[in-house]
Amino acid sequence: MKVRRREKLSYRLAGAAVAPGVEHSVILKAVDISLSFGRIKAVDGASLEARGGEILAIIGPNGAGKTSLLNCINGFYKPQQGHVYFQGKDISRLPPHKRAELGLGRTFQGLQVYEGMSVLDTIMSGRHIHMKLNPAEAFFYWPWVHKEELEHRPVVEEIIDFLEIEHIRKRPIGMLSYGLRKRVDLARALALEPKILLLDEPMAGMNLEEKEDLARFILDVHEGMGTPVIIVEHDMEVVMDIAHKIVVIDWGQVIAEGTPAEIRVNQKVIEAYLG
Amino acid sequence: MEIKVGITSEHIVADTLPKLLLRNRENWGDRVAFRQKDLGIWQEWTWEDVYNEAKYFGLGLVNLGLKRGETVAIIGENEPENFLSHYAAQGAGAKVVCLYPDVTPSEALYLWDNSESVFIVCEDQEQVDKALEVKDQLPRVKKIIYWDPRGMWKYTAPTLMRFSEVQELGRKYDAEHPGVFEENIAKGKPGDIAVLSYTSGTTGARPKGVIMSHGGLLDSACRVEQRVIMKPFLQYLSYISPAWATEQMFGLTMGLHMPFILNFPEEPETVLENIREVGAEMLVFSPRQWESLSSTVQAKMLDGNFIQRSMYKQAMAIGTKVAKGRLEGRPASIVARVIYPLIYLLVLRPLRDKLGLLKTISPIGGGSAMAPEIFYFFHAMGVKLRNMYGMTEIGLLTVHSGEHYSLETVGHFMQVAPAFGAPLEWRVEESGELLVRGGWSFDGYYRNAEATDERIKGDWFCTGDALALREDGEMVYLERVGDMRQLSTGVRFPPQFIEIRLRFSPFIKDVISLGDETKPFVSALINIDSETVGRWVEKRGIAYSTFPDLSQREQVRDLIKGEIDKVNQSLPSESRVLRFANLPKELDPDEAELTRTRKLRRSFLEERFGGLIDSIYKGKETFPTEVPVKYRDGRTGKVKTDVGITNTEAGKEATKW
Repeated sequence: MKVRRREKLSYRLAGAAVAPGVEHSVILKAVDISLSFGRIKAVDGASLEARGGEILAIIGPNGAGKTSLLNCINGFYKPQQGHVYFQGKDISRLPPHKRAELGLGRTFQGLQVYEGMSVLDTIMSGRHIHMKLNPAEAFFYWPWVHKEELEHRPVVEEIIDFLEIEHIRKRPIGMLSYGLRKRVDLARALALEPKILLLDEPMAGMNLEEKEDLARFILDVHEGMGTPVIIVEHDMEVVMDIAHKIVVIDWGQVIAEGTPAEIRVNQKVIEAYLG
Repeated sequence: MEIKVGITSEHIVADTLPKLLLRNRENWGDRVAFRQKDLGIWQEWTWEDVYNEAKYFGLGLVNLGLKRGETVAIIGENEPENFLSHYAAQGAGAKVVCLYPDVTPSEALYLWDNSESVFIVCEDQEQVDKALEVKDQLPRVKKIIYWDPRGMWKYTAPTLMRFSEVQELGRKYDAEHPGVFEENIAKGKPGDIAVLSYTSGTTGARPKGVIMSHGGLLDSACRVEQRVIMKPFLQYLSYISPAWATEQMFGLTMGLHMPFILNFPEEPETVLENIREVGAEMLVFSPRQWESLSSTVQAKMLDGNFIQRSMYKQAMAIGTKVAKGRLEGRPASIVARVIYPLIYLLVLRPLRDKLGLLKTISPIGGGSAMAPEIFYFFHAMGVKLRNMYGMTEIGLLTVHSGEHYSLETVGHFMQVAPAFGAPLEWRVEESGELLVRGGWSFDGYYRNAEATDERIKGDWFCTGDALALREDGEMVYLERVGDMRQLSTGVRFPPQFIEIRLRFSPFIKDVISLGDETKPFVSALINIDSETVGRWVEKRGIAYSTFPDLSQREQVRDLIKGEIDKVNQSLPSESRVLRFANLPKELDPDEAELTRTRKLRRSFLEERFGGLIDSIYKGKETFPTEVPVKYRDGRTGKVKTDVGITNTEAGKEATKW
């Protein structure tokens, strides 16, 4: 009998990974991170743990140090103090691209995409860590370069199908709306086949409908691919709906940690947000 | 084109759809039946594949308790599984009811309940959610089946089952009871109900389920086959929903009868690209879809530079002249005919190619009347668009055939193969209503004898449509009989004609024309096309915030006034549009303002905008409105705007208010 190609996709089978009630091990751990710019302490002794199969949200008021903490985790900033462990291994000294190779995928708060590139090429660029060829070979586009691209195309198509962007497959990024660009940015991060996904304020600047769409996709990534997600977000409501665990940061310090229900009634959090 | 007059009974090889499926598998098992783009690559199903998939799904349903004559509901986009579910259910002797994928749960509840559905086959999570929401009110439903597992990972409801799981059950059942599917097919009779197709509800409040039997569907297919250029294994693009009777007659019935190669778009959003990729040879679209195809070109032309725009304009003008000459049977001027091949090669052919219509031999429009400008647009580039007219109740009736036909008409009456009944006969009542008899005739409304009787007068079927017969034998569609309207001055006017003409403007998306026995003149409510008007406004450096703001800008009102003035010129002076207002919100099927086929719900709209309509006829200049809106997520809100009322040129001269 005919089997639909998409039935064979890896992510379709991975759903079992997030069965409820299963205790997951810690996949990423940040211990006692401190980061200062001159005399300003952006992050002040913050620690957090992300477990496999959960969506962890980092929230806090503007300027609380959320993005700084995330940047310390993926290596864009070098904290003066503290360590980051990924799958039990200390990665504190590794540069960002090495961390990406280990499986830390991320998206950016602003839009860091190439305007003139097509959606397909942009997502393909996320595959670079899985490609064996060097830029010189790629430049001359030898037949084996073409072959390698073909090998990666199914993964890219899988992601296109997953994020429902078939209709813009060949459009240049510059022509897309903000919401769609964000989705392409997420697609590129997924192309890395990350073991953990770091999202930096993915909902910023979106309207309600776009936010709801993206929240749905984040849940799908998590449920369908079983990828744990760390999401930095300013918008409390969205986070309360999708996160399993929330870490609240204010003035660079972790002031609360717990499930959305616990955070909602936490006095410290209410004070930080309201006053 | 060859017209086979007087089709004989031998031509009809099978009397039910599943028997045709069996024939296709026996005769052309290794030939392509379905194609769909999946993960960027076109995938193919042969008739052997299709037969087996339908068979195992059908047996799976039987194993789960489906009996002959019961109903299987299907809801989803046009995908292979949608068609397979049709074949499977009909193969098991059951009937099918297919729903538009964008119905609301409450609409769906009514249809599932009224059709007595026992299985609901859903495309994906979105549709499953609708079914689960109303499941408790549907005691008959045994299982809810879905074919796209995406997002379904955490659903644990015991009534849920995957399409492939049902097929697996069917495979086991087949091993234990070989030959059951084939026996069930052999038991089928042409009088069995194949499909319940619900009316869109423009005429009454609740949709009625029209019974479409196997015989009736095949009758329509054979009628069309005699009149329209078709060949076996042509590339057919399945885009209109099978929830609409037209796709039941074309994609599902003719697809099996001819057979076609059925191509399914990757996603509804990619259909324009897909038409081109498959090189579609036959397309059946609603007039709205043809309109939107032509307006994509017009909108893109607005972005072109001066040279591009003037080349396009000239080429279209010459193409239209030549097409007009060809259709009316009196050739255009020598000059036009000499330049045309060059123009075609340089401008029109590339344009046709871009639209993906290069290989199209049978483009068909049906459903409601279409503006002549749309016809000329396609005919100018050699795409010979034809109008078709028919009714869900009695099948397809007329079609444009041959080389010469008038764009104002819906063509000639078709002929019925003797196997299906007496030849088609028709007459027009004094009220203008068309009555028809012959062919397979009307099977009735499902569980609604009262409504069925209303439609039957002796042995005639009352269509409820006003049509006129021209001397050359072509039928002209005027209006629904109930919709031809008379003004208080006694003048009769065609509201649809006005609306269709206005809608062809790239700036106007929908129009409600006003005027009845209590009103002395015709006026209109306009729903502007926010995309094209927005671009037009931006080019002039005018800033706007929201849709209500845009619609009430003075420049926009002037723009629309210009469009109405143009249409007024072709109307008799008594029935011209004198005043109009731009609506402050877009009409939306979610708010019951339009039906799912995007037809206007007139009486509902007249009630909703009652205050505005009063102001138009009282001669006021503005009217403060507050329109309730229902958002997709179920919340409701209100839009407050002062709506401006504008006089057209004709309206400035008249002073009737």
